[in-house]
Amino acid sequence: MSPQGMPSARLREPAHRVSPRAVRYWVVNSTIGGVVAWAVMFAIAWFLPEQAWWAVALRWLFVLGMAANVVEVVLEPTIRYRRTRWEVADGKVFVQTGWLSRDQRIAPLSRVQTVDTHRGAIMRLYGLANITVTTASAAGPITIPCLDSDLADRVTAELARITGQTRGDAT
Amino acid sequence: MLLVHPVRILGSFAVPILLATFGLSSGGDGGPPAWIFLLGGAAIAVAFGVASWFVTRYRFTEEQVQLRTGLVNRRVLTAPLDRVRSVDVESSPVHRLLGLAKVKVGTGVDDSRIELDGVSREQAGELRTFLLARSRQAGGAAGPGAAPDGATVPAVAGPDADGGRTSYPGVVPAQPDTELARIDWGWLRYAPFSLSSLVVVAGAVGALLQFGDELPVDQVDVAQDAWRWVVAQAVLVLVTMLVVVIVVGWVVVSTVSYVLTWWNLRVVREGRGNLRITRGLLTTHSQTVERAKVRGARMGEPFLLRLVRGAELTALATGVGAGGATKVLPPAPRAVVTSVGHELLEEDGPLTMQLVGHGPRARRRIHVRRQWGTLFLAAALAVPTYLLDVPFLDRLPDWGPPVLLLVVGALNALVAESAWRNLGHGLTRRHVVVQTGAFVRTREALERAGIIGWVVHQSFFQRRLDLCDLVATTAAGAEQVVAPNIPVPLAVDLARGATPGMLEGFLA
Repeated sequence: MSPQGMPSARLREPAHRVSPRAVRYWVVNSTIGGVVAWAVMFAIAWFLPEQAWWAVALRWLFVLGMAANVVEVVLEPTIRYRRTRWEVADGKVFVQTGWLSRDQRIAPLSRVQTVDTHRGAIMRLYGLANITVTTASAAGPITIPCLDSDLADRVTAELARITGQTRGDAT
Repeated sequence: MLLVHPVRILGSFAVPILLATFGLSSGGDGGPPAWIFLLGGAAIAVAFGVASWFVTRYRFTEEQVQLRTGLVNRRVLTAPLDRVRSVDVESSPVHRLLGLAKVKVGTGVDDSRIELDGVSREQAGELRTFLLARSRQAGGAAGPGAAPDGATVPAVAGPDADGGRTSYPGVVPAQPDTELARIDWGWLRYAPFSLSSLVVVAGAVGALLQFGDELPVDQVDVAQDAWRWVVAQAVLVLVTMLVVVIVVGWVVVSTVSYVLTWWNLRVVREGRGNLRITRGLLTTHSQTVERAKVRGARMGEPFLLRLVRGAELTALATGVGAGGATKVLPPAPRAVVTSVGHELLEEDGPLTMQLVGHGPRARRRIHVRRQWGTLFLAAALAVPTYLLDVPFLDRLPDWGPPVLLLVVGALNALVAESAWRNLGHGLTRRHVVVQTGAFVRTREALERAGIIGWVVHQSFFQRRLDLCDLVATTAAGAEQVVAPNIPVPLAVDLARGATPGMLEGFLA
């Protein structure tokens, strides 16, 4: 199956990490979400009947959910930081995301339709920006998360410049 | 057009008008008689239809097709001619009675289609030739002849259109067409084996079951001993009859819908290479897809159809709307499907070739993944049964849950094994081929030039097994082709082989 002359290989990780401030941003983000989730669950649990079997089951589910929230705040950001990487080289974008699972996405810039930069309110506090590159496929958008804001501007300009050089409808 | 619109609007208003009529007239005496509402509703519908005819205009300029609609909400749809990717001509029975057609122009990524309703049938044919010829020209070098000035065509083929054919600028004379396939009524035997009309029959059965409550089945318990046997037999007969009715109904409905949908099917490769599919008994469809926009084909073999060696064929193209898939062949013999499919792909092999399997680890993964469902069921049964006090579970017999689990587990194992056996991938000179599915075996062939990116996805458990889901992203069809549970080295080989250079520089 291997094409002639090419030994089997595997993908390496992309070269660059995202901004180290991303960890703090993810912690803050998860904390906010977690606090809201805890509040909602406590509120519901307060009004549950004492003895009904479904109420007992629901309480156990809540305990699991709350534990998951703690993991999201304590463990996930650091692991995610180590696993999130990106690279733009040789006319191609290569991004790796995910903390338990792993997503590696590659798209040649000649097939890119749009380049977006996105800064949420909390992201702005930490000087971060997401870059999203879309292709003609709905399955193909690539997001480089949490880049340093200045770097994001430079990368976006560069991507837009390379993308603009190709003609045709990029399908 | 003047007739079609009011008729259709009347159709869509029929229910509210009738409801209003009955609701108001049964409200009591003294109100106005029912026919006033009916007449009023009809008049409004006609007025709407006529108004919409007056305000709808389309026109062609050198570079664009433009459609203006709306009286209050004015809307102008504009599409550059070089973005035209498909032209469908559709005629409902009302249209056909009046010799009219609806032309749908598909324009690429954003799926917004321009609909020109109520053009004459000849005009529709000419429009199709014109649009596709223009899009071809605009895409390539400048066409022969002088650049045409904007031709304006009124959105009507009334008596005042004097029957004269509007000449469209820059149409290249067509070369002879080649027919790839034509309906063969021997294929009708495959109709009951396809589940595409299952929805209709399920609905009918559901309606039947509404009456099921009326049957005296509940009264078996009350019956006297002497009666019990008789009633039991009656129930048996009843069930048998129900099954027979369902099967016969199924055969009839699926056959009729097959005939209605695929009547007079012709798949034609036009002189310039575009693909044209015409079909339909009541509503006729004529779909044309530009050759360059066809990016691949999908062959589907549902479980039942596989038993009788049948298959279905779908073309994957960019900018044809509705999931980017155009049905090319109905359930038909597999040999026909593969040969037409190969004509479509312009390459021999992708639909018949031996594929590379994904190996023992993929098998393990698929089996384990399937049994998660069994495990959840076990937990869902065990927790309430042994830990909680759930009232209605007490009534289950003791052997119930274990037997249920065994049966479900065995079924899941069967499905998983079948999924693994069907799983495979391959690479030809022009196409990437992926086959998946347990019940419905699906083989997709995607043109290598149509791949616009790759995604290598590994879940937590897939990473342990060194497997991944390899996704080829594309603008055609469902916009992605997924090879699930493929060993990582095979995935990298496939991606490198399919798109030389796209992965270079990112390899370890």
